Amino acid sequence: MDEAERQRELLRALSGADVQGLREQGVRAARGIEAYRANAEAIAERALAAAFGTVRALVGDDDFARLARALWASHPPVRGDLGEWGEAFPEWLGAHAGLAAWPYLADCARLDLALHRNERAADAVFDPASLSLLESTDPSALHLQLMPGTALVVSAWPIVGIHHAHQLSGDAAERAFEAVRDAIADSRAESAFVVRDGWRAVVHALTPADARWTAALLDGADLASAFERAGAGFDFAAWLQTAIRHTWMKGVVASND
Amino acid sequence: MAPRAGVVTAADANVGIGLRQPHYAPLLETSPALGFVEVHSENFFADGGAALAVLRQARERYPVSLHGVGLGLGSAAGLDSWHLDRLALLVQRIDPVRVSDHACFARAAPAGTVVHANDLLPIAFTEASLDLMVAHVMQVQERLGRSMLVENLSSYVSFSDDAMSEPEFFAQLCRRSGCGMLLDVNNLMVNALNAGAPDPVAMCCAAVDALPAGIVGEIHVAGYCQTPTLVIDDHGGRVRPEVWSVCEHALRHFGPLPVLVEWDTDVPALDVLLDEAAHAARLHG
Repeated sequence: MDEAERQRELLRALSGADVQGLREQGVRAARGIEAYRANAEAIAERALAAAFGTVRALVGDDDFARLARALWASHPPVRGDLGEWGEAFPEWLGAHAGLAAWPYLADCARLDLALHRNERAADAVFDPASLSLLESTDPSALHLQLMPGTALVVSAWPIVGIHHAHQLSGDAAERAFEAVRDAIADSRAESAFVVRDGWRAVVHALTPADARWTAALLDGADLASAFERAGAGFDFAAWLQTAIRHTWMKGVVASND
Repeated sequence: MAPRAGVVTAADANVGIGLRQPHYAPLLETSPALGFVEVHSENFFADGGAALAVLRQARERYPVSLHGVGLGLGSAAGLDSWHLDRLALLVQRIDPVRVSDHACFARAAPAGTVVHANDLLPIAFTEASLDLMVAHVMQVQERLGRSMLVENLSSYVSFSDDAMSEPEFFAQLCRRSGCGMLLDVNNLMVNALNAGAPDPVAMCCAAVDALPAGIVGEIHVAGYCQTPTLVIDDHGGRVRPEVWSVCEHALRHFGPLPVLVEWDTDVPALDVLLDEAAHAARLHG
């Protein structure tokens, strides 16, 4: 048998198709195939759970496992690094008819994915000397670089509150979930800012002005354009102080660098 | 704590353990005497982050063996150049003592697009399959600028048109590609048990004896689990006595070799793993 066809057939067998050419016959062959199928399911559940903790907490372990297996079947991995699998999950959730009771679920998945990517992003160090460019160079010729993995997730739902509530336990969690339920009932929109704190990715809720500013920076806008997009209500001095304190930025670069 | 006089330590005997997340902190804090630590290469393919930082710290204390589970060296669909690039970068970053992966396939296009099974799927022991393996191993070795080890699988199905035995397949693979073999004696045992061998230890020792001298570069031992229908290579418990017997036989047959104790599921306290490593070291004594 052609090796390529043999391998295609074995992979199809893991999805339930018949397979020919095995030394094992009947029940023994079925048991062997089942061992691989069960392993694939376990891998799917484990890999997705590692990246989408909030979604798992929202839907529960059993439903999450079913979703993981379904995603594996419809959007199988193409890489041998399972940390790369699951990119399609948020959009897939959003289109999943059975999940209409959780209209915020896809956005929570986007936030989970942003956190996951952040923790895998390149490590970088802040260049404080680059700040001198802010005094010497026209803002239209400057770019402010955020740390690798920094992300903004804009949602019509209180995704930051939902995420934080799932990090708590006991009375604090109860209070947080009560506040989240009110926010969901009010359809309160939140913009989530994802940055690294030490080795962990963390989430901050941004004001609308800070969200517009962050979006501009992530789009690669020059500082003058970013100021314009941030608009009224944006306090650059306060933002810069916080950004330096929490190491949100790599530094400032001139456009021709 | 210094070992007692005359006691062969895991470091002396070149015995290593798999470094998994629950052991990151205790291993770095206590730095027990070990010959090396092993990690799954793909878990460190990210551009940065905590895991890579831990691996760099571990590398300052121990030789590191990079053991891949995702190259899919026997895949007729070919190797993923992205995967190979990430592995090459990791090799550059860590300067490992050994690089290895498995004699399996993982990439195929069951419905038009190439997907990655993220499992160690069995290959046939045919001339065509051997040609594929040789070409891919040579491609990896050329990319990395070094030789690699290739591990024998535990497999739950096999193919009726196999044209050679597993030892013969590996002998030819190593001779033609210049790679070495990573001999997993637990995998030999799992296959022997699933094949219903009347004397599994004898069957495994015969497989060891059928391998040419000098091709094995590392030995793996691990635990397996007996289900009602199959023996599963789950790396979730202590090494079984019969696997230690085959390991001891292999060490007698080949001479001293690095031995890795693998434990990947239901990972126990570090002390338990170190106790297994001490057992492996005693086999060298």
